[in-house]
Amino acid sequence: MFKNKYTPYLFILPALILILIFVYIPIVQNFYFSFFRMNSYSPGQTFIGLDNYKDIFQNDIFYTAIVNNVWYAVISLIVQVGLGLVLAITLESKLLGKERKFFRTIYFIPSVIAIAAVGLMFYYIYNPNLGLLNAVISMFTEGNFRYAWLGDPNTAIFAVIAMSQWQFTGYIMILLIVAIQKIPQELYEVAEIDGASSFQKAIYVTIPQIKEMILVTSVITVIGAFKLFTEIFVTTRGGPYDTTQVLGTFMYKTAFFYDKMGYAAAIAVIIFFITFTTSVFQIKFANKGED
Amino acid sequence: MSKKLLVLSVVMLMVLSLSITVGAQEVTLKFLHRWTQEPDSTFFEEVVANYEEQNPNVNIDMQVVSNDPFKEKIKIMLGTENAPDVFFTWPGEFTNRFIRAGQVMDLTPYMEDGWSDTLIDSVVEPFKYEGKIYGAPYRLDAKVFVYNTKIFEEVGVEEPANFDEFLTVLEKIKNAGYTPIAFGNMFPWAVSHYIGQLNAYCVPSDVYQEDLNPAEGDFAHPGYKLALEKYSQLTPYFNPSANAIRHDEARSTLFNGEAAMMYLEIIEIPTIESEAPEEFRNNYDVFVMPEIPEGEGDPNALLGYPEGFVISANTDHPEEAVKFLKYLTGKEVGQKEAQDLGFVNGVKNVVSEGEIKDSIYNTTQLVLETDRLVNWFDSSLHAEIWSVAGSELQKITDGVATPEEALERIRAAAEDVRAQF
Repeated sequence: MFKNKYTPYLFILPALILILIFVYIPIVQNFYFSFFRMNSYSPGQTFIGLDNYKDIFQNDIFYTAIVNNVWYAVISLIVQVGLGLVLAITLESKLLGKERKFFRTIYFIPSVIAIAAVGLMFYYIYNPNLGLLNAVISMFTEGNFRYAWLGDPNTAIFAVIAMSQWQFTGYIMILLIVAIQKIPQELYEVAEIDGASSFQKAIYVTIPQIKEMILVTSVITVIGAFKLFTEIFVTTRGGPYDTTQVLGTFMYKTAFFYDKMGYAAAIAVIIFFITFTTSVFQIKFANKGED
Repeated sequence: MSKKLLVLSVVMLMVLSLSITVGAQEVTLKFLHRWTQEPDSTFFEEVVANYEEQNPNVNIDMQVVSNDPFKEKIKIMLGTENAPDVFFTWPGEFTNRFIRAGQVMDLTPYMEDGWSDTLIDSVVEPFKYEGKIYGAPYRLDAKVFVYNTKIFEEVGVEEPANFDEFLTVLEKIKNAGYTPIAFGNMFPWAVSHYIGQLNAYCVPSDVYQEDLNPAEGDFAHPGYKLALEKYSQLTPYFNPSANAIRHDEARSTLFNGEAAMMYLEIIEIPTIESEAPEEFRNNYDVFVMPEIPEGEGDPNALLGYPEGFVISANTDHPEEAVKFLKYLTGKEVGQKEAQDLGFVNGVKNVVSEGEIKDSIYNTTQLVLETDRLVNWFDSSLHAEIWSVAGSELQKITDGVATPEEALERIRAAAEDVRAQF
């Protein structure tokens, strides 16, 4: 096809260079910076070996952050992928007629709103004095219900997680619907001839057929859970007293509030390893099922 | 192909260098401030336009970043070639770390050359670091309790003379069904203001100053515990879930008469005058934090530090930058600032009684009559100590940590920081 066998590489080259400059080189640089004590405004940097990592593992906020990220990952898997799957199958089943298009759109809309706007909206929904949520609860309880959802350490992180579920379940649902629509109709016809119920069709036909997409959405959600930043930043900023910190906001805080760029780079390395190993593990795990 | 490219880039380089040499007389100063909102942003645009008109060879490249992002952005910018020539800053540790990194120009020679004679001494003081002057004040500030005089009358209480009286007043107001103190502490700079003033009352000023030095501070003086205990005595009188609401949200409960008082900065008085309902505007007054007789600190100390501007040490045009800074913080701009915005800068006698609203004039006098201004607790602390302290103070506000526990953790953070120096 090409006169010169190097021609195809020439076409790949620009993208490769850009990815190298903007992705891979910064990652390597970040590893390097994590061994230094440095800030962004003074020229000097001191080599301190693994001290940043030691400090991180002794920091209570780090463990709070890990726990919060794990909560986020677990709840998102259950709600976004689990509930998203149930919604997708229901909307694509014969139970619904033309109104399925309407529901599809309704569930999908939240995911196209900017996170900053959603954060602000939920900040007011959860507000103790003017909040919609408390107003609704007050209709069913005696007296004025005034609970600070984002201000109480017991509920703050879950309030933020709930916001994300509201926003992204519809997005995962759409991805699954696209996969379901690609399943050949013959499979369902065969299943029907064998006398399968709708539930059995979902379990034995739909889910095995869209296994790949379920895996992809699971990876997206879990990695998303560990890269979490904006949702926290626009609602609680990690407060009250650092109980809603996640790795992303903890990294940001050390970089821009404590002026510890090396320390923040070390946190970034840890985030990198967590997301990297999770995705490798998930992909391996899924391939095994295929054999 | 590549030859053409080479020729093109050489030509472009030549054109570029030519434009630099031609424009040598024209000076561009990069200017960074943090007022994105009206009326302040228009004010700065007008000030810059006036200056450019008076100095045709100077071009001011103004950039604006809002308050919180500013704190992050300036740290990044100062490390680069794009550092602003003249930029906003808070004096104290926020600026001192940049001074230690050699990023701020020493203004002492210019100040000694007559500049400082035009400025109020106590307001220039905060811009000093190790005996040298690094900045010029843009506006005065201090923290006072703004209270609703109608509620005070109705409940039958008066401005308290000391802290014990204050607690009695608060109790009476609470029993009358009002929120005694409106408090929005979602971002804990709000609580830092209480602690800053209480520390100044409870800890001798020389001890306090030493503790603010991150290389030496240990916060061992018993006054710090007293200050935290006094603060925790106030917490029953705040609105519920103070840590979940923002400062401006809490302020609206003061304006609408739900709350009897609030600890505000005097630079918020122009906001009262422009935003509060008439009912409140006609019925408010101020008092400073009631003193603590058993405290070992300075009963005349007032929390409130000016804000100002400094010049980057790496500026290419130091003379032009100084000239612009003198204008920006000088009398002409100061008078416009007082009229347009209701802020008073550091120039001696910049406004006289009657020229601006009495409420603004009188609170400004509070600052001018004080012997010792105390810096905001958050911006005077090392960032890492403040981060721990901010969390601990929020915990005391929620009643989930005692003053002893909080102080222990703050001292531990100070010890960690000392080890880095």
